[in-house]
Amino acid sequence: MPHLNEIRKRNNVKIIGKGDKTLVLAHGFGCDQNMWRFVTPVLEQHFTLVLFDYVGSGKSDISQYNKKRYSTLGGYAKDVLEICGALDLSDVTFIGHSVSATIGALAAIEQPELFAQLVMICPSPCFLNLPPDYFGGFEKQDLHELLNLMDKNYIGWANYLAPLVMGSSHPDEFIAELSGSFCSTDPLIAKTFAEATFLSDYRATLKHIKQPSLVLQSEHDALAAPSVGEFVANEIPNSTLQVISAHGHCIHMTHPETVGRSIIDFVS
Amino acid sequence: MPLHQLDDNRVTDYSADYFLSGALVTNADNVIVYVNTYFKKELHWHCNELIGKYIDKILTKSSKIFLQSYVLPTLIHEKKCQEMQLIMLSAQGERMAVTVNAQLDEKGFIYWSFFNATQRDKLYDELIKTREKLEAQTERLQSLASTDELTSLLNRREMDYRSVLLLEQAKRTHRSVALLVIDIDDFKQINDTYGHLEGDRVLKELGQCLKKISRQTDLVARYGGEEFLIMLPDTHRADTLIFCQRLHQLIAEIKVGSEGLTVSVGACMSDSNSTFTELFKHADNAVYQAKANGKNTTYMHS
Repeated sequence: MPHLNEIRKRNNVKIIGKGDKTLVLAHGFGCDQNMWRFVTPVLEQHFTLVLFDYVGSGKSDISQYNKKRYSTLGGYAKDVLEICGALDLSDVTFIGHSVSATIGALAAIEQPELFAQLVMICPSPCFLNLPPDYFGGFEKQDLHELLNLMDKNYIGWANYLAPLVMGSSHPDEFIAELSGSFCSTDPLIAKTFAEATFLSDYRATLKHIKQPSLVLQSEHDALAAPSVGEFVANEIPNSTLQVISAHGHCIHMTHPETVGRSIIDFVS
Repeated sequence: MPLHQLDDNRVTDYSADYFLSGALVTNADNVIVYVNTYFKKELHWHCNELIGKYIDKILTKSSKIFLQSYVLPTLIHEKKCQEMQLIMLSAQGERMAVTVNAQLDEKGFIYWSFFNATQRDKLYDELIKTREKLEAQTERLQSLASTDELTSLLNRREMDYRSVLLLEQAKRTHRSVALLVIDIDDFKQINDTYGHLEGDRVLKELGQCLKKISRQTDLVARYGGEEFLIMLPDTHRADTLIFCQRLHQLIAEIKVGSEGLTVSVGACMSDSNSTFTELFKHADNAVYQAKANGKNTTYMHS
């Protein structure tokens, strides 16, 4: 395991706010910790907040990226556990958006003593339709089209062909020069994250969650239908489902007051 | 036709309907409040099929994910978003690749512009295919350039490169490394008696045997005609000698005619200053010593 300070640097860890209770906020697929900036002003008055970027996202240290590790959500869960270890945290409330709700579940099952509670914002343990019992909302072909779309949206960006020229056997040189945009990530890294997120099935892990959990579901979410939120809340033994009257998947950005209030009520 | 007031108080009748691109406005709830006639002319949507509906209606499922994961967060964060590629649906469900630029105002309204990107999409597909082909070729060339064709072991060039790295690492971690030079006894005679095809079989089988006995971290190479090298990281002298003993036993199981194959092995251990060239020189001299000692044996350089 890398040195403690290296982990803080690797995952661009930021600590803000004050309070006895600590919240770890984990961004979802696509963007970085900036996603939380609309809700942090409310939360930092009550709690200590730990913000970070997964390796490969935002301002994390891309040279630490390892394709094998980050090909499954377990690798991202390791990031979470290592950050908790580096900061000597315990009894934290983990707040995960979208795929990070699943990542948090994996971390909380592996080291339950670190986590007191989980808050899942628009979670989905499986995006695939698996009839007759489960409808994640998407067919395999939709998700392959997404991967193709991601390729096309990065095509003109820096480093599209760079890994090819450098060769995959030299990970140290695999240092991306990212553009300033907050959603931009290295194309191969983003695609690997997308595959780990959208082609996986973590439904079976939910019932092993011991911590009290709050599921915040958006009323109209193109990525996770209300039935998915209900499924998640039903599977987790000690959970509460709260449906937020909103349209969209990033309710912590579009409805920060409501989301902030729900978190404060739940944690207090 | 709507009239528009320009900044300098000129009134003009130019309209968004004349543009060969889609113009669309959504409110803070992502509900469509305006579309220009491009959507009717090119995509056969009736205006009333779109107004009051979520923007999701004109996008494929994959594009919805992209919209929710990238486009909308970027818009909320940066107020604008440019050159995104999405797939739009016509009223008949036909797909059209589009480039999207959009900006967000203070009231949460988003002004979207869509440009047909069908040709660009084909180019992208071609570029992706080319990249995949290049990746596969690179992998193949890397493998060809680093392995010996007959035995699939590392070739001489790759061995020279990797052994230097391995020695540097061993120096940093203060571990000792063993180098073995393995030379088939009387290989010329095998070729002369049984032919070159049989010679090749022996080389191939010996390669497999060396690979089998080695750990994953060991470097195993065919270094010359009938000369093989093994570099054993993190290995002491006593372990090296045991390894060589097993090597002789296993190699004897490879049959040439009715006889077991034999090799002579020259071994040497690294110290804190050893270079690969020095180690190789010592191990190579040790092979000659092993041959002089009657073959089918190991000689350790001291």
